[in-house]
Amino acid sequence: MTRIVLSTGNIVTGGPLIIRKPGTPRSNLELTNSLRSNFQAAQQDYAPSPVNSNGNGAHHRNGHPVNGKTRPTVDAWTATEDSVLYVPRIDWTAAGLQEDRAQYEITLKLFFLPTASVEKRTEYINEALQLVMKELRVEHIDLLIASFPGISFEGDCEWEADKINATMGNDEEEITTWAALESLYEQGKVSRLGIAEFGTEKLQRFINRVKVWPAVNQINIKDCCSVPPPLTKLAKSEGIELLTHGDCTDILPSGTLRELLGHGAHGAGILADDENAQNGLQGNLIPEWVVKYTAFVNYRGVIENKGYFAGAELVKA
Amino acid sequence: MGLLALGTALDWPDAQKRAQQVREWGIKQLLEIWNKAKHKERDAMLWGDEVEYIVVRYSEAAPSVLLSLRQADILSALAADEELSAKGGGVPDLQDVKVQNANPLPVFHPEFGRFMLEATPGKPWGSNVKELLDVESDMKTRRKIAKEHMESEEYPLTLTTFPRLGVPGVFTDPYYPPSGSKLRSQFVPDEIANPHIRFPTLAANIRWRRGRKVQVNVPIFHDEKTPNPWKDPTVNYDLHNWPEDDDVRNGAAPDNFIHMDAMAFGMGSCCLQITLQAKNILEGRKMYDQLSPLGPILLALTAATPIYKGFLADTDVRWNQISRAVDDRTPEELGEKPLKENQRHIPKSRYASNSTYISTDPRLRPEYFDPNLVIDESIKAELIMGGMDDLLATHFAHLFIRDPIVIFNEDLEQLDLSKTDHFENLQSTNWQHMRFKPPPAGSDIGWRVEFRPMEIQITDFENAAFSVFMVLISRAILSFDLNFYIPIAKVDENMETAHARDAVLGEKFYFRKNPFPNRAPRSAAASNTNSPTSSRPATPVSPVEDEYTLMTIDEVINGSKSEEHDFPGLISIVESYLDAVNVDVQTRCELSTYLDLIRKRASGELWTAAKWIRNFVAKHPAYKRNSVVDDEVTKGLVSAVINIGEREQASKGWKGLDVPDLEKFLGQFRGGCGSNGVKRTADKIN
Repeated sequence: MTRIVLSTGNIVTGGPLIIRKPGTPRSNLELTNSLRSNFQAAQQDYAPSPVNSNGNGAHHRNGHPVNGKTRPTVDAWTATEDSVLYVPRIDWTAAGLQEDRAQYEITLKLFFLPTASVEKRTEYINEALQLVMKELRVEHIDLLIASFPGISFEGDCEWEADKINATMGNDEEEITTWAALESLYEQGKVSRLGIAEFGTEKLQRFINRVKVWPAVNQINIKDCCSVPPPLTKLAKSEGIELLTHGDCTDILPSGTLRELLGHGAHGAGILADDENAQNGLQGNLIPEWVVKYTAFVNYRGVIENKGYFAGAELVKA
Repeated sequence: MGLLALGTALDWPDAQKRAQQVREWGIKQLLEIWNKAKHKERDAMLWGDEVEYIVVRYSEAAPSVLLSLRQADILSALAADEELSAKGGGVPDLQDVKVQNANPLPVFHPEFGRFMLEATPGKPWGSNVKELLDVESDMKTRRKIAKEHMESEEYPLTLTTFPRLGVPGVFTDPYYPPSGSKLRSQFVPDEIANPHIRFPTLAANIRWRRGRKVQVNVPIFHDEKTPNPWKDPTVNYDLHNWPEDDDVRNGAAPDNFIHMDAMAFGMGSCCLQITLQAKNILEGRKMYDQLSPLGPILLALTAATPIYKGFLADTDVRWNQISRAVDDRTPEELGEKPLKENQRHIPKSRYASNSTYISTDPRLRPEYFDPNLVIDESIKAELIMGGMDDLLATHFAHLFIRDPIVIFNEDLEQLDLSKTDHFENLQSTNWQHMRFKPPPAGSDIGWRVEFRPMEIQITDFENAAFSVFMVLISRAILSFDLNFYIPIAKVDENMETAHARDAVLGEKFYFRKNPFPNRAPRSAAASNTNSPTSSRPATPVSPVEDEYTLMTIDEVINGSKSEEHDFPGLISIVESYLDAVNVDVQTRCELSTYLDLIRKRASGELWTAAKWIRNFVAKHPAYKRNSVVDDEVTKGLVSAVINIGEREQASKGWKGLDVPDLEKFLGQFRGGCGSNGVKRTADKIN
């Protein structure tokens, strides 16, 4: 069994990665493209120096392509620490924010993936939180939004979506997970907690049962002028902010992750092609969680850092 | 601008003698500010908008609409309103306005034209995305307050120009005859300008320095029955009041051009300006550079000026007219005569598109600079001696090639380094499309950048939309570290292109294909064997010409699907910024109506004000297809604009309003043809 942590690094200056093309619906392209791009970048950055470097560099590069054609060995651009495989390796010396912590609003959105174990969610929460805190060098988070699997808020008519939503997800599991988040809140590690895609009924049931109420409910609606009025009303009366987002719920399906790490044209070349192949790691790949983090400089209205970590497990077949 | 300074304004011959002194003192003051503020850090992102109005006198009974010259009375009435000043509003030029509450009422300012008014929010806007929703309602409040302090037949309109400014006969109330001693205009009286000594002196000294009247010629729009060649029928070739009356006899009024001859034809135009505070000088310098290439795009997109002096023009925007209306260059500086009295040829008017880039961004390539940049070498040397870096010194040494136009004798007695009056004298009479503004003396305000090219829009909804858009794009530029650099010469060309009739749909503009930063390689700081290789070749530098291409405004705003490049469009960039920050549903919804307006104006789905006005004129029964916009047509247009404004004030939408093509101009926005009853933040009026 191998634990894998994937990361994008800061994508806010990543150009096209962070720009949603006109007319494209919400998708996980930002995550998948950013991961892929970060893998390629790491492979370039950690590529072996051109051999025979006493010659004219330009000449050598012509005959010795380093830009993506010849991959460095997996060891060179990934790292194994405490039996976790980091893809790519993370240069923690570059971690941190530019200004005082007080200037930032730091938001995390933690996606619990449908492929993962519900029992281990507390571990996922801690793992994700630790990684982000290390990356941003911060001690606490301003807003942590939990995105549970199997819930969506979709449909041409938002009324309809609100109704369907009431039967989605798994209340018991969500409430159990919430308790772990509440403890982070109580420890002062997170100032505000939030949930995503909760419709009116689901939200009402939820707040009836939890200790710490969500401060935020993130919803994705195409025409955001038509939020179902009952939801608006409930949110208003209970002091829950309705925020927008453009993420999709199943943000990292296992097929997608396998493709990202496989030997295909755009893969990272880490996984073996099949159980008989010798060209990489063997086993079943199970995506567990994804965390998106954003560091927003309040007084400037500027996003300084945004990125993703994803956790997965490779289980022997 | 604080209280308008009073004093003895020097006539040009005297002013000219003291010009060098003002420049020298101005430079000393600049170095003082620079030294004090160069390390100023962490200033909050505050911003402000400025809305300018013309004031018309309109009644259903009167056959013609007139410009009201009661600016001073209106401002006095505003200043005398105790409730307004108690709530933080008022007229800073006439009274001490103190911001004492959290949401102060707006403040009003005089402008060059005596028929103009400017209004700004009572305090700057902050960086919170939510605050962007207050802009529109604040603009509506400004208009409401302005109207309340006018006579019942007076209206504040956000039209860039008054269509009948300068026509023969009566177009102002009260009437004054033209051909006064200050402007010496055939068409407008001296009383058209704000009577404060600064303004007539500005106009007179520009003319005096130039050696003739300013020459504002706009090509006529040739309609079916417009003669060709067309000779401006309002030009009087037999006037002999002033030596400058010879100008038209010497060819100042060529065929096929609407001829205008006074500063008021330019500086009497209304603009929509945005000022953004930067966190420090470096961020300010970056914003100055990065917003600069957007100038011509936003000019074309806000086009609203198709009529001059009672004629349809063949251009859609005000910019060049203002440029010419304040062009104080002598024939020598213009290159019409060999240099004798003057020091140098000067390729641009004081009012023109930017000539400098000033950022310390390593992506600023030497190829982008203006090859024709004119600077004062001795001033640059002095600034560098004073510790300023080359780029910024070059910028100010460029601004300081100009003479100060209005000099008050009293200010020349002693240099006061705690003030910035001499610096501002030059700085604020360099009207480029961006302005880089150092912190004012004796305040906590930071380095700021002003974005100046936009035309004022007819409704507050549109003005809010464009203001908000500029703020959002500035945040996206800083967040995503975008790069819009193209050579300054191409920005200049774009500025000219933006003038064409319907440039927004018919023209292409130079724009950078890839606005994104290159990936920075991982730091090579780690010293273990797995540290990234430092021998990675630097990204090869391609020729500058490959970086940009011609794009339509639609491509720039909405994205391109060309094979050559995939520029994502400014709207996508702004939306991606909004996607990445925590925005509540209502805010996002309301912001998307602003983005939709801009999207639709760029794609042509909705018309610019210029196009709507043109079509209004063309369809008016009194229009004779001869390019003439007479009193009757103007009255119809003003009446339509007043009606639109009243509906907007009442948040009633435009349903049932008998105004041609309104749905093509404003679409379904703000209630459109049938209000859905949703109350928006923007509907609130204080």
